[in-house]
Amino acid sequence: MVAALLALMYPVALLLGMPLARQRMENLSNWERATVAALPVAEADASGSRLPLGSSPAVDAVVSGLQGGSAVLVRGAEVLATGVTIDGTEAVLPAPLSGPAARLGASLEPVAGPTDMSGRVYALPESAPPGAPLYLDGSLLVSGSLSATERADGARVRFTVPGLADALADQTDTAVAVVGAAAVLEGSGFEREGDIVAFASAPAFNAPVRLITGDYAPLDEAAGTIVLASPTSEAPRVAMEHVAVVEGLTGTYDGENRDFRLQHVPLLERDPGRRLYVGDRELLSGDERPAERVDGTLRVFTFASDHGLVTVDGRQLVEGSDYERDGNVVTFAAAPARNAALRQHPDYLVSDASTGTITLAAAPAPGEPVWAGSYTYYARPGCGATAFECFLSMPQHPVPFPNWVAERIVPFFTAYPFSDSRNVIRATLYTAAGTLVSLAFGTLIGVLLAVLFVRVRPFERALLPWVIASQTIPVIALVPVLVAVLGNMGVTVQTSLVPAAIVGAYIAFFPVTVGTVTGLRSVDPLALDLMKAYAASPLQSFLKLRFPAAVPYLFTSLKLGAAAALVGALVAEVESNNRLGLGYAIIGQVQAGDVADVWILLVISALLGIGLVSLVGLLQRLVAPWERTGLAGADGDG
Amino acid sequence: MAPAVTSPVISVRAVDMVFRVGKGEAVALEDANLEVMDGDFVSLIGPSGCGKTTLMRLVADLVEPTAGEITVAGKTPRQAREDREYGYVFQAPVLYEWRTVIANVTLPLEIMGHPKGRRRERARELLKMVGLERFERSYPWQLSGGMQQRVSIARALAFDPKLLLMDEPFGALDEITREAMNLELLRLWQETRKTVVFVTHSIAEAVFLSSRIVVMTPRPGRIREVIEVDLPYPRTAETRESERFFELTTQVREALRGAPHGGGAAPSAAEQPLQRTAGY
Repeated sequence: MVAALLALMYPVALLLGMPLARQRMENLSNWERATVAALPVAEADASGSRLPLGSSPAVDAVVSGLQGGSAVLVRGAEVLATGVTIDGTEAVLPAPLSGPAARLGASLEPVAGPTDMSGRVYALPESAPPGAPLYLDGSLLVSGSLSATERADGARVRFTVPGLADALADQTDTAVAVVGAAAVLEGSGFEREGDIVAFASAPAFNAPVRLITGDYAPLDEAAGTIVLASPTSEAPRVAMEHVAVVEGLTGTYDGENRDFRLQHVPLLERDPGRRLYVGDRELLSGDERPAERVDGTLRVFTFASDHGLVTVDGRQLVEGSDYERDGNVVTFAAAPARNAALRQHPDYLVSDASTGTITLAAAPAPGEPVWAGSYTYYARPGCGATAFECFLSMPQHPVPFPNWVAERIVPFFTAYPFSDSRNVIRATLYTAAGTLVSLAFGTLIGVLLAVLFVRVRPFERALLPWVIASQTIPVIALVPVLVAVLGNMGVTVQTSLVPAAIVGAYIAFFPVTVGTVTGLRSVDPLALDLMKAYAASPLQSFLKLRFPAAVPYLFTSLKLGAAAALVGALVAEVESNNRLGLGYAIIGQVQAGDVADVWILLVISALLGIGLVSLVGLLQRLVAPWERTGLAGADGDG
Repeated sequence: MAPAVTSPVISVRAVDMVFRVGKGEAVALEDANLEVMDGDFVSLIGPSGCGKTTLMRLVADLVEPTAGEITVAGKTPRQAREDREYGYVFQAPVLYEWRTVIANVTLPLEIMGHPKGRRRERARELLKMVGLERFERSYPWQLSGGMQQRVSIARALAFDPKLLLMDEPFGALDEITREAMNLELLRLWQETRKTVVFVTHSIAEAVFLSSRIVVMTPRPGRIREVIEVDLPYPRTAETRESERFFELTTQVREALRGAPHGGGAAPSAAEQPLQRTAGY
């Protein structure tokens, strides 16, 4: 039975979770991004028609794009050669390159710091061009790091760095982490296991946490410092000028075509780091807004540039039919709708990010290459390669797998010592105590009312409508009133059993009253005649006949009352902000979004309910040993 | 040992009983007259609706008559009830299911305030008498119907009333159990010398048990005839096979059917005291 229920939870968890996982996977904002950058030649003094590009995961990714497109060799923004092909890890030029691939500047200055960081931290010279590659002993250093998924909150010490285990699989040196603008070493500053990194001291609030996976990583951008993965005695040198292989865009270079494509897609629509060039000229990637407000009637707008592509709400307009241009003044055939997004893209726009298509404002001259200095694209879903992986990595599942819940059980119960009020068992006992107290009160009130109703008929007529009306008031609305009243009476409701006891009693007394009245009236008329024949007093008749006859009914309603009183006690705990009981724990976990813990609490509550009802059953067996059945109550004579 | 023939234990004179049924009325009993002497075993027999049970309930003061006069042991029925003059055995055993067998038997003693030790002693005696001493700790549902009814008889005898009112106590039992119970009841009656009023609709049972049979007819409930039963005591299983038994059952059956009869009843009434004396 339990096993079947648990087994059923798996398909239910998948049924409810997979659509969310699929959404999560398809949402581009969750994808990992990767940047395609110009590939500097790996050897500073390389020349001739074959230039080494080196090999690293980052380089391989770019090279794979170059193989599909057409590579271009550039120095800075100057095109040196087009029609470059890739052969393994080498770029093959149509004509040999004369002179070295990179002209190196002065050595970097070592930065003084902790002794264990000596030989790792260097400062770039101020004269270094931005983003210039570094060479160590003539060989290119590859920059690379991976970021942690969690944000530093000042307290967290464990971080997940997806892909870290794979990236550092071959690394035997101690790993280096960059926390904010400081570098820390594995062993002294942190420990790592798989993709998990545990720091010795918690990174400061909002400090970016990265792990170096390449040869080096920027350390403090403002100070122009870098940190190397491995210490060196010789300082690296920065390339003052260097040649690089870049991705040429594919398309028809006929002097008329303006649509070209990038290889790595989908593109980021807005990418401040995207640098595209036509020949030696860099294209402006921004767009311009008109000087005038788009009010729905105005047709003439002024832009900063006198050229470019015009779009309205992302839709490209055609010059000549949709609008006429006179310098930087554009006149529309029809006024754009009020508040429409009217933009001019001076040089190009991304016309289809999913296929990597860009449209240039002016067609390049024949033979003039269009090439990308750098751009960013969505590389892969951040949550995993398949929807199922995304399902598994979801931080919150609508319904968790039972084994996940099972894994949480021990830590859940042992998270706090029993002396701590956050201990689950302690909280459970607290709520159980509240419920039992409320049940005792509820039973007392219920039985007294029932006796009153049966003995004094006018009482029933006068009070019964009120008793019924009392049960139509939702407890959730009642508790705040109760809390206010108790607060005024000086009761500290946050740490008091009183609200739970009152609310539980308020709920539990009703079934007890109804059950007891039914029981007291259920007496066999012949049994009453017997009492009469014995000339028994009314009190004797009540104690020896009516009351014992009502006991099974009383217990049946007490079982209903126990379950209801528990719910009442939980609601009261939550609404009186009492953190000592189970009710607050449930709400706390729901708000924290820990579904597995919520399920554990759900099972605990259910077990508590079953336990309370069983306790009533046990009491029944002690008090009413003549009973043959559990829940059914009395069934007349034997 | 002859019965004392001083004053009747029960005297019913010109009693009418009318129940309101909805807006109309139902006459349960009309002009009922009956005297039950000390030591009598009187059976009330008749078809359903003839007022047998009503007559019993009137005697027991469980209902009050519309008209007429009833005395029980020379008192009003109410006084007699309050003085606990009679024990009553209902159609159903009416055992309290939350009490063990022995606690059911001690119930009247508890109510009447007998001392605790004495109560249990008395209850054990009675359970032994009805053959249920081994079941004193059982709950009623653990007993068969016949056993339950024996417990209810023991309970009725618990406080040793002189008069025992039994309303179809064996009605729900099968024939075999019933005959065994009949023998047992006769034995009890002879041992305890009580006056018994016994409601039944079994002719054989009435003839076998009674010293007198009151034959009643329905719509409206009336006492048609009182038949003296002159079968000798002690009666045994063989009594049922005697010729006189068949004659008497025939006489009762005819009385029930409303057939006219000769002076058969008169001589037997005259003979009856003699016969009974001879029986002892």
